[in-house]
Amino acid sequence: MFGDLRRYDTGSPWGVDWFREWLDEILPEPGATDIRAVPRGTYPMINIGRTDDAVRVYVFAAGLTAGDLELSLQDNVLTVRGERQVVPDEPEGDERRPYFRRERAGGSFARSIALPEGLDADRAEARWRNGVFEITLPKREELKPRRIEIQSA
Amino acid sequence: MNEITRQEATRQPQVQESEGSRDERDRALQPPVDIFEEGNALHLLADLPGVTPESLSIEVDNNLLSLEGEIRLEMPEGMSAIYAEVRAQRFARRFTLSHEIDSDAIEARIENGVLHLQLPKKPSHQRRRIEVRAA
Repeated sequence: MFGDLRRYDTGSPWGVDWFREWLDEILPEPGATDIRAVPRGTYPMINIGRTDDAVRVYVFAAGLTAGDLELSLQDNVLTVRGERQVVPDEPEGDERRPYFRRERAGGSFARSIALPEGLDADRAEARWRNGVFEITLPKREELKPRRIEIQSA
Repeated sequence: MNEITRQEATRQPQVQESEGSRDERDRALQPPVDIFEEGNALHLLADLPGVTPESLSIEVDNNLLSLEGEIRLEMPEGMSAIYAEVRAQRFARRFTLSHEIDSDAIEARIENGVLHLQLPKKPSHQRRRIEVRAA
């Protein structure tokens, strides 16, 4: 579903951005190339979705368990903080293990991300499964979409 | 208003089906990996958040190792994305194995979205210590 978002970014509703399109054509990039693109190796990556009654934040934090991630919400800014050890400890007494690739991010991290206004932080819930943390932040009652009935005069 | 957003939300997947659905489906993220050698085996660690043991497929064809995993998220119906850094449904990456890897003995396990592959070397390529004897 989040794959759809790319379509909105690449389309240019404010007129045809021919130069960018031409550049994209001659220099195709495997990843997304817009203002929201994050550098390769960003950890953890974050997706946010919205339903009628809640905002859901997905934190893609492979290798972390429930106790490893600290979540806090202040003034609609969500901060995720934690630390991860990327590889198991080296066996004792052995010589250093030779590495061929090191691409996974390790150590401590903190990311903050602004959320829409009007979320009820007191009723927030977080779940965790297969390395993805899902945070559900219900919208406050007055911000939910409402249907207005039209009455005949 | 509510009805309008709903309609749009249901219309989008159809648009996606008709134009460029192939592109959407084929796009895969390249997972970051660590590869190191320890105890007569190569170890490969890959970050595959959201991939379950069921949605992960590992194949070895000759010397080509393919990893592919679908990101499975529980998403409520009618959800629209407002921000996304992960913009694909799956991870995929390929590696060429050297001839010293015993492809029949590869072991894999995935835990909390981290895949750990153990690629043992063939016995004939394992490191041997040669004792030096006094003459």
